[in-house]
Amino acid sequence: MTLTRRTIPGFAALFSLPLAWVLLLMVVPYAIMISVGFWTRQFPLFYPDFQFGNYAQILADPQYTTVILRTLKIAACVTVCALLLGYPLAYFLVFTVRSQKLRNLLYMSVIVPLWVSYLLRAYTWKIILGTDGALNSLLVSTGLVSAPLDIFLYNQTAMVVTLVYIFVPFMVMPLFTVLDNIPRRLIEASEDLGVGPFMTFWKVIFPLSLGGVIAGATMTFCLSFGDFVAPVLVGGPDGTMVANLLQTQFGAALNWPLGSALATLVLALVLILLQLSSRLDRAGRVDLA
Amino acid sequence: MTNERHEGEQTMSILRRSAIIALATASVLPQALAANAAELNYLTWEGYAVDSFISKFEAASGCKVSASYVGSNDDFAAKLAAGGGVYDIITPSLDTVPMLRLAGFVAPIDTAKVEGFGDIYPEFSKESDVVADGETWAVPLIWGSVSLIYRPDKFETAPDSIAVLFDPALKGKISLWDDKSALYWTARYLGYDNIFDLTDEQLDAVKAKLIEQKPLIRKYWASAGELTELMANQEVYVSNAWTGLTSKDVNNLKKGFEVVEFTPKEKAEGWMDSMMLVKDSPNEDCAYKFMSFMQSPDGQCGLAESTGYFPANPKAVQGCMSDELKKERQVDNVEFVKSLVMWQQPARLDKYLETWNAVKAAP
Repeated sequence: MTLTRRTIPGFAALFSLPLAWVLLLMVVPYAIMISVGFWTRQFPLFYPDFQFGNYAQILADPQYTTVILRTLKIAACVTVCALLLGYPLAYFLVFTVRSQKLRNLLYMSVIVPLWVSYLLRAYTWKIILGTDGALNSLLVSTGLVSAPLDIFLYNQTAMVVTLVYIFVPFMVMPLFTVLDNIPRRLIEASEDLGVGPFMTFWKVIFPLSLGGVIAGATMTFCLSFGDFVAPVLVGGPDGTMVANLLQTQFGAALNWPLGSALATLVLALVLILLQLSSRLDRAGRVDLA
Repeated sequence: MTNERHEGEQTMSILRRSAIIALATASVLPQALAANAAELNYLTWEGYAVDSFISKFEAASGCKVSASYVGSNDDFAAKLAAGGGVYDIITPSLDTVPMLRLAGFVAPIDTAKVEGFGDIYPEFSKESDVVADGETWAVPLIWGSVSLIYRPDKFETAPDSIAVLFDPALKGKISLWDDKSALYWTARYLGYDNIFDLTDEQLDAVKAKLIEQKPLIRKYWASAGELTELMANQEVYVSNAWTGLTSKDVNNLKKGFEVVEFTPKEKAEGWMDSMMLVKDSPNEDCAYKFMSFMQSPDGQCGLAESTGYFPANPKAVQGCMSDELKKERQVDNVEFVKSLVMWQQPARLDKYLETWNAVKAAP
């Protein structure tokens, strides 16, 4: 497109606000973060510099790799669990529920929790899983256990449970959309050709829904990877995740250069992941035209 | 067939955008509020801004107090480093006072403007970290100790040592303050007496001991409220705690059991909190009024009552405390300090913080 004299003001009016937004609130802050990662710390403050000491420290000290690997593990667990729960749910909503009204109602009931404060929802799990909590009262009152168990709360399992609960809508939403958009005639054709329900799912529905799986998995993974509330509320002493480390470096430890370097690494990790997922998405795309 | 991608991208960008709006609002709001006249922004500990006495100050001075809370002494510098103009008065412990002065976050205090300053225990008001470079940097407010609390109904014999925090028999029932002072407790347990100036080898030993202790820990507590909750919900049976506050709060909940404080044979730790004036505070008038109020009977007795700690101004509390309470709160007995291990700023504060963070990050 060539810009004629007449279109320039219109073009500027239309795009200057979003461009300024992106520049001021995204590009500039990222640039600041990346550059602070090269600063030097001189306790209690820090001064501008250009050196790689912060990165060297992150790579040399095992505490950072331990936490990054732990965070990757937890985010992966959350993603797999959310997929195992979210896929059947979306499938049920799209293919089993006949009434449009009921389907919308059920879909909304999956989405509505997103309107409730995240903190409140995470806190609820603390009340359910605690030693004096709802789950233990149920187990004790039914006689399944004689004394309350303390295995439910303050560990990594509790973190995964909480995060799955919180992020499952982000898995269901894209899955629901892709499944809903699969032309029914394709499924009917498969059935007309005498293919059983399982093979129809495996050969027709599942491949066509891969885009939704990838989109949902990417969102769930990235959101859980950056979470810092679940470790604080329901995690135990071994629950520190990478966002908590960042919080500490910018907070109590007062080491912004190290924190920025760590944040830059996390950003790079997430960007690589997004790149991978978009490649996967493109490779798996089926042309329905 | 690109619907799902659009859906995904849309949700993603909505999320990102709302996060940014929230962030922008959060960073602009406090500054906008701070610009109002007759305001006092107070960064302090839980229990230090309770309505019972703050309302008296507000009525008398016309200054509106808005309080925010910290969970450890290391939070003060972190909050001030994020930008000025947000807080007017902070209340760090004595071990953090020199660092805040050296970092340039605070202004010296004109003690003539603080009514009652002369009645504070001179052991505190003339302390070498309070008075430095010929100026006074802090107004002593209140002092106390960090001791251990436990559930007597869960122990056959009463514990008497820090060793109880490392007892494998209590696996999963121990808590510990999420603070660098965890290093002090461990160093004292290991028998070191130079706990504020540990060598690298000693720090490594402390770190190893704390990592060994991790499977026994149910949860590190980050605020007094969190420890109260852990105790009240039967999650833990023993922890270190701010003497006076947690036991009072837990026992007030009447859960059908009691928690009891005790001083381990290795001694309890002692602290003294003082008020510091943040540099370039726009509300200096209110700040001085507040510091004066906190040295008055209403301020000292109000704070001592809401926290269970010891007043720093013995003269102020003469008329508002019973003799029994004066004895309990060590009024006119500043010698009690000697029975405590008083906190000092560690010689290598950054190294201590790094060590504690490494413990928390460990598996």
